[in-house]
This record gives sequence, structure tokens and C-alpha cells, in this order.
Amino acid sequence: MWDNPSLRCLLAITFLHLLSLIYSQETGFPEAPENLKCITHDLNRMICSWDATSSANLGLTYKICYTNSEHFSLVCIETEGKRADIPVTVGSTNIRITTLNASGTSLATETFVLSEENVSLIPLTPQILNLSADFSTYTLYLKWNDSGSVFQYELDASWQIQILRKETLETVALMNYDSKLTGKDSILSWNWTSDIPLECTSYYVKIRCYINEPYFTGRKEWSEWSPIRTVPEKDTKPNSAMVFPQDKVVLVGSNVTFCCLYNEGESIKFMNYGSKSYPLLRLNKWSSAIKVQNVSASISSGTNVWCLLEPDGLEGTVLFVGYAPDTPQNLNCETRTFITITCSWNPGRATALYRQRQTKYILFERISKENVTCKVDELNKEHYCDFPVHANQKIYNFTLGASNPLGQAESSLLIDVNQRVHLETPVKFTVSTNSSTNAHLSWYIPGNFIQIRLLCQIEISNSNSERQLNVSMAGAENSNYRAWVDALHPYATYTFRVRCSASEHFWRWSKWSEEKKLTTLEAPPARGPAIWRERSPVGETLTVFWKPLLLSEANGIILSHEVSCYSREIMLKAHEVPVPLNSTEIKLGGNDCLISVVAKNRAGSSPPSRITSMDLPSDDVKTELAIAAGNGIYISWHSDPNVTCGYTLKWCISSGSEPCNVDWEMFPSNATDAVIKSALFQPGVRYNFSLYGCKHNGYQLLQNITGYMKELPPKVAPNFTVEETSSDSILVKWEDIPVEDCQGFLKGYILYFAKGEKGSSKTSFTDEENKTEKNITDLTKKSLRILDLQGKTSYRLGLRAYTVGGIGPSKDLYVVTKENSVGLIIAILIPVAVAVVLGVVTSILCYQKREWIKETFYPDIPNPENSKALQFQKNICEGNTALKTLEMNPCTPNSVEVVETQSTVLKIEDTEIISPVADSELPEDGSDPETGSHVVVSYCPPIIEEEISSPPIDEPVGSSQVIYIDIQSMYQPQVNPEEEPEINFVTTAGYKPQMQLPINAMKMESHSPTEEDLDKTAGYRPQANTNVWKLDSPDSPISIQSNNENGSFGSPCSINSRQFLIPPKDYEDSPTHNNTGWSFTNFFQNKPND
Amino acid sequence: MASAEQSPVTLQHHNLCSRVILLARKIRSDVASLLESYVERQGLDRTISLDSVDGVPVAAMEQGGELTMAEQLGANLQAYRAFQALLGEVLEEQRSHLTPLDTDFHASIQAVLLQVAALAYQLEELLALLGHSRPAWEAAGPEDPARRSLFEMKLRGLKVLQELAHWTVRSVRDLRQVAKQPGLSARGG
Repeated sequence: MWDNPSLRCLLAITFLHLLSLIYSQETGFPEAPENLKCITHDLNRMICSWDATSSANLGLTYKICYTNSEHFSLVCIETEGKRADIPVTVGSTNIRITTLNASGTSLATETFVLSEENVSLIPLTPQILNLSADFSTYTLYLKWNDSGSVFQYELDASWQIQILRKETLETVALMNYDSKLTGKDSILSWNWTSDIPLECTSYYVKIRCYINEPYFTGRKEWSEWSPIRTVPEKDTKPNSAMVFPQDKVVLVGSNVTFCCLYNEGESIKFMNYGSKSYPLLRLNKWSSAIKVQNVSASISSGTNVWCLLEPDGLEGTVLFVGYAPDTPQNLNCETRTFITITCSWNPGRATALYRQRQTKYILFERISKENVTCKVDELNKEHYCDFPVHANQKIYNFTLGASNPLGQAESSLLIDVNQRVHLETPVKFTVSTNSSTNAHLSWYIPGNFIQIRLLCQIEISNSNSERQLNVSMAGAENSNYRAWVDALHPYATYTFRVRCSASEHFWRWSKWSEEKKLTTLEAPPARGPAIWRERSPVGETLTVFWKPLLLSEANGIILSHEVSCYSREIMLKAHEVPVPLNSTEIKLGGNDCLISVVAKNRAGSSPPSRITSMDLPSDDVKTELAIAAGNGIYISWHSDPNVTCGYTLKWCISSGSEPCNVDWEMFPSNATDAVIKSALFQPGVRYNFSLYGCKHNGYQLLQNITGYMKELPPKVAPNFTVEETSSDSILVKWEDIPVEDCQGFLKGYILYFAKGEKGSSKTSFTDEENKTEKNITDLTKKSLRILDLQGKTSYRLGLRAYTVGGIGPSKDLYVVTKENSVGLIIAILIPVAVAVVLGVVTSILCYQKREWIKETFYPDIPNPENSKALQFQKNICEGNTALKTLEMNPCTPNSVEVVETQSTVLKIEDTEIISPVADSELPEDGSDPETGSHVVVSYCPPIIEEEISSPPIDEPVGSSQVIYIDIQSMYQPQVNPEEEPEINFVTTAGYKPQMQLPINAMKMESHSPTEEDLDKTAGYRPQANTNVWKLDSPDSPISIQSNNENGSFGSPCSINSRQFLIPPKDYEDSPTHNNTGWSFTNFFQNKPND
Repeated sequence: MASAEQSPVTLQHHNLCSRVILLARKIRSDVASLLESYVERQGLDRTISLDSVDGVPVAAMEQGGELTMAEQLGANLQAYRAFQALLGEVLEEQRSHLTPLDTDFHASIQAVLLQVAALAYQLEELLALLGHSRPAWEAAGPEDPARRSLFEMKLRGLKVLQELAHWTVRSVRDLRQVAKQPGLSARGG
């Protein structure tokens, strides 16, 4: 009916029309019903209720009339209450409610048009059928009836479940659960996991429902909440305090809540996780909790959680923190016996959980659907599982499941058992032999290998070789397997071992069996020994030599050698030589014979080795030199066409005083060279070889060869002496080095010589830079003359021999050459003659130029006492002992007094210069006790004669000419090198002022430019304050001598100037020509005194 | 020099006392190191209160109870017999539940267990030498180990070792007293 859309549309329009009528009705009586409300639980019937005043009228009843939607007939019911149960109608329904009094009289009538929109759909209140708890997993399980039978068709239902805890009923969770009602009652279940142990506090649950009827247009509302249900208590509720959860296993990184339950009268002091205390969360009056975040892996005994209670009590639990099992890695399944398949694997990451909590493995085979529980040896960390091999099943599909309390993992492997055969190690391995070349082997392999063939590998090794022999054989069940090995060497010790695998589908070798040793039986020697013979010089006896056979040739232990002598197939002599002798002598008695040597062991005799005793005569046997090959000696020879049966090279190695051991080597007839090697050869030792040619009638010595395996430098220096010495040559003579000291073929000598004294620091000629060396390659030469030497000179000589291997040591000698007498005479006579000639020539010249020499070097010097140029006024210096001045006389004084003084007065006037008392006062000043030390130095201008002899024309009459010349000048004046020699002489040899004056300070009006130049170069420089000096002595000699061509400044009567005549430290090392000038000055000064 | 020669029984008594003392001291030394490794392996603190753990013989003497020599030795013997059983339990708990892979640790417990057994045997000998009867074996404790939580196992093991260490001290003291009284018969014995 509800499905008809046109009908529903019509009903909706009608409903809207009537709705206005409902609310527009007037209610004039108080008993009139009003506020009609209808709800339905099942969409079939609805419960309508209304309001009506009934206080004044007791015994009121209500008559409800409505139109039956099926029959469109009016149905009326009477009720005493203000509610009625009427069917739900489609669309709108007219409901007329009449209020009747006790007598049945109608008091008021009200008609309602009830539409579907005004009906509420409220499901029946659900009832919880069962509420249970799993305390180990903190999970609540809830069951209830969905009452689906209330509705006859499918409907969507939603359920709301509320979890509450503590006495205060705090909501922990409000969960929704959707279901479908199927028209009949169904039991629904739902679970919820708590984050804290359920034991920690009380939990409560209630539920309500909501029906989602899509075509119901009325209000759809949640049902009432079900009655609250309490989570049942744990069966084993502890009497005493406890910590929860007990012995739980959690994943690494989890957040875990622990609670401590305690009894009345107790309180909790603190609660620890491990060694750390955590803040307490109070759950209720008898329970507190701690919350631990991100727990880390625990030790094998777990992590302790404990709470300390007051007044007295300690409770705790253990938490195991670990990992879920890792996926089994490298799963490998193979059979060793075809009885079981053994699977092994690597467990991967450790879970940190042990024993009851450790990972358990189950091997499941999908084809046979069988599974086996695997053993895990935690101590040895072995993980393997044996699965039985089924008859007629080749393919196995294994799944290995790993599980522990925290999770599970699995790994799979599909195998063909025939292709995964890994045999057990062969056991009971035996080796036996009854011959010299064969051996029998036997071993046992457990298992049933009837269906496959086996491949076994036998390893045969001895000290020299190792080989492996593969043997394929049919498989058997728990059987011995046999093999036979041949081609073994007689009397050889072998080591055998064996391993096996499947032949067709190789998977893996078994382990090697234990090793077994076996020595094969002896056999006769494989060949005769190598033999040689040597005749005695006389030829009466013949010594036969043989070499011991190699182990591989002897085939056993050689007991003796039988030596026989045959002549024309008739054995003349035979005797047996026991080991270890390897030679014997045979007396020939003048007859030659054919020698035969046979080696014997326990198994028999070797084939004979034969050699003739006959020696062919040799003539002109040459000795050749062999070439050292480093590891042997290279020998070559010319091919001899007559040699038909090969060459034999024989040598003898002596060791100490014992007779030498004869050794030899044979070569075919076409051989022409060979490298002879022997462990006995030593470097630097000379070996002699003899080459024999085997001809049809005997052996002939063809050639002697001498050589070294390796040439070394000579061991010693050649012994040499100086035979003769002259002034320019030395004759040196030396001796041969003994052969045993040469260590090689001598190639020559090197003679070194150089100047050198005995006892010089240089120890060898390699240090000598100016050595000369001479290479003497002519070995026949035993002396050498060294020429072109210097006479009476010590020479150092050294002589060294050398070979291809290098240069030997040196022997040094010191020789002094003889004196060259002729040269000495010449060296004396020539200088003497030259000196005589020079003396004569000089004497002649001097005689001819004697006047000029006198004028130049020895002029007449006027007496200075006659000059009035230098005079000091007596009254100036008198009474002032501190003032020390130079008395300047018209003559040139021959000495200058230099004294120390404390006076700073520097004043000299022109008039004072000409003081006549200078001579007499100087000694007084000089002897003044207050002046301290004083020095009187000679002073004499060198060219004073010239100055006097040619005075300037414009010089004022009566003025004296005074020239100051350098006296131990304090500095070298700056002299123009292009100046005239006289000026140079004056400036260099004359008096030198002690400092340069500033030009401005020294400039006088009367100075000419040339004088200024001279001032710059050679002028006197007072060392005190020049300004003061200038001011204090305006009439100083400078002004007087302004026109002096010599350009020297006159010094005032200044103690300073005299003091500075002593050069300061810096000028003590002044150029030597100053001193030269000084000496010259002295020379000329002293001259008049002479 | 001693003033009088000792009788063979006295000498034997002295020797036995010395051996028991020596063994008790050895046990104490071994238990001390075992305790260190025990608390480390169980994650425990040595200062933890063990008052709640019962069933372990306590070495502390009851006040006012003056025991005779025979009673002292008998108490020692009973204690070590109990420790023998308790150490066996501790060892089994460690092997099965707590430290399954730590074989060295198990060997240490086993070594102490054997020494305790030897000590109990020597005390029996001493009692016999002094002419006292051996006390009968006491029945095992009523507690079911299977119902013990792991934490209780740990605490119990710790208490066993601690009390064993205390008992060895007491034994040394008791044995020294016994040794000072050669040839004495127990009071009332």
C-alpha cells in the first residue's frame, strides 16, 4: 500500500488540508481532548495519548473512533485512560475522541486528523542478554536480541553502546553498531577492549536502538537506554592487594596501564615500572594506576612493576615486552635419509620472549595436510623440523608458521624431495689393498635411497698429488657402498676420503668422511739407476757410480745394487753393494768390460743399466768457460758427429776435506748445450766439468769446462806494492788473486789514485772527489806506472779487482813522490835574478832623479816656532783650567793635545789664535791635574809647505795661514772623485772635521760658491751646538780663512772640537787609508825632528 | 702447649665444627655474589621489602628463647634442609620461567644448593657426634608454586638467598659456641 506513489501524493495533499482544520477547531469545553500524540514501536500499531481536564468529572471515559484504512469503516473503541492503541494507518486518519461521563453522556467531542508525520517511531528498548569479560585481553563481550521479529521486513538498525566505569559512571566509550533487522529475532554480539585491565575498576554497559525506516515520514527517534549492566567480577578476585595486568606480554613500543588494587585501610605510596616511579592515576578508592608509554624490550625475566602500600605491603607483577615473530628466513627443506624431510630456518629478529612466551613453530604440508610441531633449541639457537616422507609423494608444499603471544608470521617452500637430497656423512669408511696399484674402499650411508642413484666422490691424495674420482652407484637402503681404485703407485702412501650426493639432481655434497691412509705394496724398481764410471789414472781400476732412484722409480725400499762386469755377454764379475753406497770399484786387470748395475728391492730387481768401461784417447782437450746462469751453469759444446750414444757431462762437487762427490748428467747426441742445475752449487764457487762423448766403442773426453753458477765480486783485494817512486811517477806492481777468492772470472783491475795524506778522514775512494782511476783490462799485466804526478806529494793509491759479479774490495797505499831538485833550483834563481835587476835599475833611476825625490818626499819644513800665526792670549785661558784650547801658531804645530774637560765655554777670537804663549801653555794644560787623562797627538798638515810657499795674493798681511788636516777623522768626508789629486790628498790625509755643518749655519758673506762646495766635502764640522758656536765666536777662523783654497774650516778654541778628534765607536773601523794618511802624516811630521 | 691431651672424639668434634664453619663461610661468600647477579637478572632492588614473602626460614632469633646447643644445631639443620628445598624451587623457577637461557646463573644456584646440602649433612654428623638425635624432615610447605605469580617467584628467590646469607652468619656464630664447649652434652639432651 505504501508503495503506491500516486496514493501517497493524494494522501499528502489531503493531510495538508486537514492539518489546518485540526488546529483551527475550537475547543469550547474543558473536558475536550487535546494535544493528541501518537508513537509507534513497530509501524503496525501506535499508541496515542492526549490531554483532557477531568478533575471535576470523575468516571470519565473516552470513545475513540477512527476510520479503518482497510475497510474504510468507522471503528470505535472506549477507554478509561487517555491513551489508546490503534493501528497505524497510511496517510492521515480522522480520529474523533469523545469524552463521556459516567452515565455515557457525551461531554465533548474532538476530531483529530492524524497524519503520519505526527507519529514518532521509537523502537522498543533493547535488552542486554549477556555481558562477559576476558580479563586477559581486557575485552568485554556484549550480546543482545535485536527484536527483528517486531518488523515483518528488513530494516536498518543502529545501536549505540555506552561503556561507563568507576562508581561515578564516567563514560569511557560511546560506540555505534549497525545491523540489519531480518524480520526475525537475532542475537547480536559486540566486543570492546579496554586500555586498562578490567580488574582495575568497575565497568558498566547500556545500549539503545534506532530504526531507520526509509518510507516512514514521521519522526524516528532512539529507543530508551537499556537497563545498565555491570561487568561481572573476576572469578578469582584476590583477597589481598594485587597489581594488574599479571605477567602480561606486550609489543615493544606499546603504552601500558598498570593498576594496583588494595584493600580497605591501605593506601598506595608509590608505583614503579622497573626502577622508575610513575605518577599515580586514581581510579577509585581502592585502585590506582600508572601509564607507561612506549615500553622497551624487557630482559628475559621481564620488567617488574610494583606498588608499595601503606601501612605495609608490596605487590607487583612482571611485564614481558618483546616482538612478534619475524618471518622465518632461509627456509630450507631437504632429506638426508628419505625417511624424514628436515626443514631448517633462521628465525630472524629475536623476539626477546622465552619459554612459555617464546615463538612456536608449526610446519604444515598443504598436499598431505599434515602438520608437525617443531622443536626449538633456544640455547643452541637451532631451528629445525622433521617432516615424514610419504610414499608416492615427491612434491611437498610446506608452510612454516611462527606464532607467539604478540603475533604470527609464516614462510612457504615447495620442494621435490628427489631434488633435495643431502646425504648423511659416510661412516664406517675402510680402505684395503692386496696389490701395489689397487685399493678397495667401503663406506656406509644411512637412509633409503632405492629410488635414486648416488654419486660419490673419492679423494685420493699423497704428498705429491691429489685427485678426485667420481663414482656413480645405485642407491640402496641402509647399505654399505663399495668402490675400487686403481692406477695407484707402488709403495706409496695415500689418504682417502669420500663424500656422496644424489646423482641425477645434485643438491649438496654430504660432509667428507673421515680420512683413511693406505700404503700400496712394493713392486720391482721401474728402471735401472743412472750410472757412470771413471777409470783410475793407471787404468787398472774402474769406479762405477750410480744415482739412487727416485721414490717414484724405486717402487719400494732399495736394498742393494748389483754391479756386474760382462765381456761378450759373459759375466766376469758381479758383486752386490748394499745401500747407501752409490759407487764401487772394479779391477779391470787390463780388460775392458760392459758394466751392468741393477737396483733391488723386496719385490724384485730393476732393469739393468749398462755402460762400457772403455775410454777413448783424447788429444788437445781445451778448457772452455761456462756462463753463469744464476740458477745454474750454462754449458755449450760443439756437436761431434762421431758421438752416437749421447754426451755425458761430469763434475765433482767437493765439500770441505771430504773427497768430492761425482755427479753427471747425460744428454742425447743432438744436444749441444745444457743448463746444469744442482742444489749443491753455490754462488761464487768455481766448478769444473768434463764433457764426454759416447761413441760406439767407448767414451772420449771432449772438452773441459769451468764456470760459476753465479759470479760474485772478488772476495779480496789484489796484493800490490809500490816498486818505484820518482818525482812525477809511481810504479805499482800487483799479484794475482787466488782462484778461490776470485768468485768469478776476473775481468780486470781498477787502480785509483789521488792526493791524500795518511790519516785523512776519507775512508774510501768513493768519497774522493779528485780521484783518478785507471782500468786495467789486460790481465797479463802485473804492473803500472802512474805518470804526471807532482813532486814531493803524498798520494793515496787503491787497487781493486772486478768480475762480472762486481768490484771487489780495495787495498790502499800511501806514497810520497820524490822532490824535483831542478825545479827548486829554478824557482830560487829566477826571483833572485829578477830582484837584482830591479835593484840596479831602481838605483840608477833614483840617482838620476834624486833632486826631484828630495823635493817631493823630503822638502824643507820651516820651523814653526818662527811663525806667529798660532798664539793664544794668555789672559783668556789663564785662570780657567777648564778651558783647553789649541794654540795656533803661524807655524804648523806638530802635535794636537786632546784632553777631556768639563768646560762648555767655546770661545776663541782671532786674536787669541795668534797668542805666542801657546807653546809654553800647552804642557801646563796637559799637566793640569783636574783635566784627567789627555792625549797628545801629532798634527802636521802635509802640504803646509805649499801653502806657505804660495800664499794668496789677497791674503791680509800678518794673518797666518792655518790648515786643519784630518787627524783620525771621525768620518770620511764626501769627496768628489773627480777632484784634483792635491785636493784629494788634503781631504783624505788632512784633518777631517767631525760632523757636517748645515750649509746655512756655516754660510758666511765672504764665501764664494766654490768655497761652499769645499765646505760640503771637506769643511770642518763642529760637533756641539753649531748655532751657539757661531754666535759665540763670530770671529772664528772660518771668517778669517774664508778664502782659503783648501777649504778647511778653522776650528775655534773649542774643547768640543778637540774631543771629537777621537773617533766614536762607529768610526773606529774607518777605512785603512785614513790610518795610512795618519802614518804618512806622522812620517812627515817626524821628519823635521830628525 | 695444651695442658691436657684431647680425646679423639673431641678432636673429631673440633674438626667437624671447623669444617662446618668453613663451609658456612664459603656459602655466605657465594651467596653474596649470587645475590648480586640475582637482583641484576631479576631487575630487582636489594632494598625492596620482602616482609610479605613467607615460607622462608628466618635467621633472626626469637627473643627470650635461650636455646640449648642441641636446639641450636637442630634449628640450623632444619633451616638448611628447608633451604635445600627452596633453592631447588628457585632453580626450577629460573630455568622454567625467568632466565631460561642463563645456564651460568643456574650453575651458580646449583653450586650453592649443593653446598647447602653438604652443610646440612655435616650438621647431621655433628649432631650425631654429640649424641643428639637428628630432627625429622619437615613436610614441604603448603604453598603451590604453580599459583605463584612471576613477581612473587622473584621476591621469593631473593628472600631465600638473603635469609640463607643470614643463616650462614648465625651458623658460624652457633658453631663457634659449640666448638668452645668440647665434649659437652646438650642441656637436657
